[in-house]
Amino acid sequence: MKTVTRADLEAYARTPAVEPADWIRVQLDTGGIAAGAETVFAALERERATRQLPLVLRRVGSVGYSFADPVVEVQVAGLPRVLYGRVTPELAVQILLDHFGAHRLLDDLIIATRQRARQLDGPVTHLLVRDSGPETGSKTEFFQFSLAEELKRRGLAAKVQVVRALDMGVYDEGVVVQLLPSGVTYANVLAPDVARIVAESVEGGRVLDDLLWKQPDRQVRVVLRNCGTVDPESLEDYLRRAQGYQALRRVLTGLKPAEVVAELKASGLRGRGGAGFPTWQKWQLTGAQPAEQRYVICNGDEGDPGAFMDRSVLESDPHSVLEGMMIAAYAMGATKGYFYIRAEYPKAVERIERALVQAREAGLLGENILGSGFNFTAKVRLGAGAFVCGEETALIASIEGRRGSPSPRPPYPSVRGLWGRPTAINNVETLACVPAILLRGGAWFGAYGTDTSKGTKVFAVTGKVRNAQLVEVPMGTTLEQIVFEVCGGVLDGKEIKAVQTGGPSGGVIPREHLDTPVSYETLQKLGSIMGSGGMLVMDKSDSMVDVAKFYLRFCVDESCGKCAPCRIGGYQMLQVLDRISRGRGGSEDVATIQRICAAMQKGSLCGLGQTAPNPVISTLRYFNDEYKAYLEGGPSYARKMSRAKLPEPAPAAAAP
Amino acid sequence: MTPTPTEKLDSALPGEVRKFDEAGLISLLETVERKHGFIPREVSEEVTRLVEVRLERLRRIQGKLDSGIKRDVQMHVARWREEEGNLIMILHAIQNQHGYVPREVAMELSRELGVKLARIYEVITFYHYFKLQPPGAHNVTVCNGTACYLKGSTDLLNEVRARLGIGEGETTADRQFHLDVVRCIGCCGMSPAMVVDGKTHGRVKTSEIAGLVEAVKKTEAVA
Repeated sequence: MKTVTRADLEAYARTPAVEPADWIRVQLDTGGIAAGAETVFAALERERATRQLPLVLRRVGSVGYSFADPVVEVQVAGLPRVLYGRVTPELAVQILLDHFGAHRLLDDLIIATRQRARQLDGPVTHLLVRDSGPETGSKTEFFQFSLAEELKRRGLAAKVQVVRALDMGVYDEGVVVQLLPSGVTYANVLAPDVARIVAESVEGGRVLDDLLWKQPDRQVRVVLRNCGTVDPESLEDYLRRAQGYQALRRVLTGLKPAEVVAELKASGLRGRGGAGFPTWQKWQLTGAQPAEQRYVICNGDEGDPGAFMDRSVLESDPHSVLEGMMIAAYAMGATKGYFYIRAEYPKAVERIERALVQAREAGLLGENILGSGFNFTAKVRLGAGAFVCGEETALIASIEGRRGSPSPRPPYPSVRGLWGRPTAINNVETLACVPAILLRGGAWFGAYGTDTSKGTKVFAVTGKVRNAQLVEVPMGTTLEQIVFEVCGGVLDGKEIKAVQTGGPSGGVIPREHLDTPVSYETLQKLGSIMGSGGMLVMDKSDSMVDVAKFYLRFCVDESCGKCAPCRIGGYQMLQVLDRISRGRGGSEDVATIQRICAAMQKGSLCGLGQTAPNPVISTLRYFNDEYKAYLEGGPSYARKMSRAKLPEPAPAAAAP
Repeated sequence: MTPTPTEKLDSALPGEVRKFDEAGLISLLETVERKHGFIPREVSEEVTRLVEVRLERLRRIQGKLDSGIKRDVQMHVARWREEEGNLIMILHAIQNQHGYVPREVAMELSRELGVKLARIYEVITFYHYFKLQPPGAHNVTVCNGTACYLKGSTDLLNEVRARLGIGEGETTADRQFHLDVVRCIGCCGMSPAMVVDGKTHGRVKTSEIAGLVEAVKKTEAVA
């Protein structure tokens, strides 16, 4: 690609992107590829070539619907834009034949849009229908049949198609019907409503207020704004369709570093890696250090098992992260940057490296960027499977080519970091927020969220949840809303027991606290942490002692061994927990665990050791009964007790 | 004694095994090197056992030959020479090439970089990603991230263990299968997940394991 100048960027900003009339986007991130998205793409390409179809086929990143991978988005002129999930190569060909060729939507594959409208803005062309309970079955088919019959009776069958959907985005609200293209959604639809829907809404163009689902979508996509819509392997696409590098242009041509910091301060953005340190402050501290060289590092060492939002952002929108890094560098006067990415994420590494090459070729990296006199280069460094390297000082050691052992702070990296120079380390998600903040203003971002935790946060909701997916919600959304309203609740309609946040450094949050609004402070108060955003849903059959043991074993394996509290404390505590979980625990064991926890929290050198007891402490706090059951009657007794009742404070516990 | 060195030799030896002059040895070692990219220590030991050449003499001959390793290492080092803190990136390049970090290569790297071997091993052993043992012909990796754990990856792992008769981090005696457990491959939406020869399988059931393993064995038989 040729050099991109300031004038080019101004031209891109003025001219809206021209979208082709017909296109198909295949979501190719690691999750999608594992589910077979590459073969789907190949099948589509082959079919398009042999039939010489006039449609544009594009590779994009993931929109976040992991439960439905591989996901394909289809736009055909005259039809509503549709997301198809769980696509196989055969179904992909079918989509070309039916959807593109015959203008008929396919059954059982469509993920309904979350952009639910309240007004009908034109004639209805399609009805999506699905029973939103945990088990869908004959009910969906029955309603499809009755709607179709009713349409036929009124002579509308040729104009309106009734389609069974895969997912409606509304859960446990009976039968849900969505009217396309407007997106008006009806919930709790009963058999007598069928005739009304057809007569009033389809024919008459009026919205039935008693059925209308008025709950707006909980999600706000800031970090994920381009995920699933831009081609992560094309700079051109990012420039044309995603306001690419416009924030950088604005910063380099009109703002002083201090003004960039001020904008960040207004946004209230705090580090999304978990600790929640204000980003503006980190930049200001790093920039204030006198030094001839400063560094900015993007921490993509997403070691928390069960979290994949950083991977997804790096794979789906690499240029946004790079742009964020460049703005950060400008704000603090750094000229070199490093992306530290897990080697286990080869696709993310590949796409960031490609983004760097493209940016270099276009003159967006290098000397005198956009004629502003600002110089910046960035490189990729691979992690090598060490959880502790997510810790700032260990990460720096690893980039320097050494063992990833943490060192005591202070001095903080913003004073003495990489090669002894001032360094700012920002999480992937933090950097991905930055261009959006600079484009739309700090006040816009700060309007989302709570007083102390502003903006939006991406969570990877997995475990025993119906729809495992990425969720981006404003801070202050409750855990209940995230798990039940956005992700559809617990898998197979079971009862929820707890939600774990923050990975091995976090804790469990029991059912009775799920109405807590999510923010850095509230989660901490509950004995957990925000962490990087992993969120695991556990149902009644999951043993909390086992979960605590699982996380502790992880931390014991990952302890670098430098300091004694973490190395010895973790191991000894694991022995005790193991004893308990096998039903051989003694009455003094819980007290021992608590003593070791306190020692590790106080005495460990870095975050890994200090937070490693968190899963144990929080399970002890909320599920003490379960530990008791293990001590009293062993694992099978404990499992039976846990299934029998939910862990409310038992009368036996209150007695002494 | 593992059967591997002999196997490696068998495939490399052009028939007449026991009578070797120096030229014959060099050509033999060259074949081995072409096949593996370097001369594994166990092969050179096996050669001395088979053809009764003293190890020192073989090493001397090998010295003329090791240029392959040297060239590779020099290539990797040249790519990263100018960068500070390059050791980990070079080790990644080496592991990508060989599937693990062979001792010979680590030694050559130490000479080339002027870094003590102990420091190189300090780094290799710290990070889970670097391996000191060659991987098997087929690699089975079970994900044990939290999402997979909750959905029964322990059962999967036990089933794979029983099928292959090996534990985590081990390789079967015939070097066909290597079993590993990883923390998280980021496919939590499809848990429990496992990777067989680079292909990720999602929502795996214990009953499917036998089929997956057999399928790999079958591709082997066809090849």
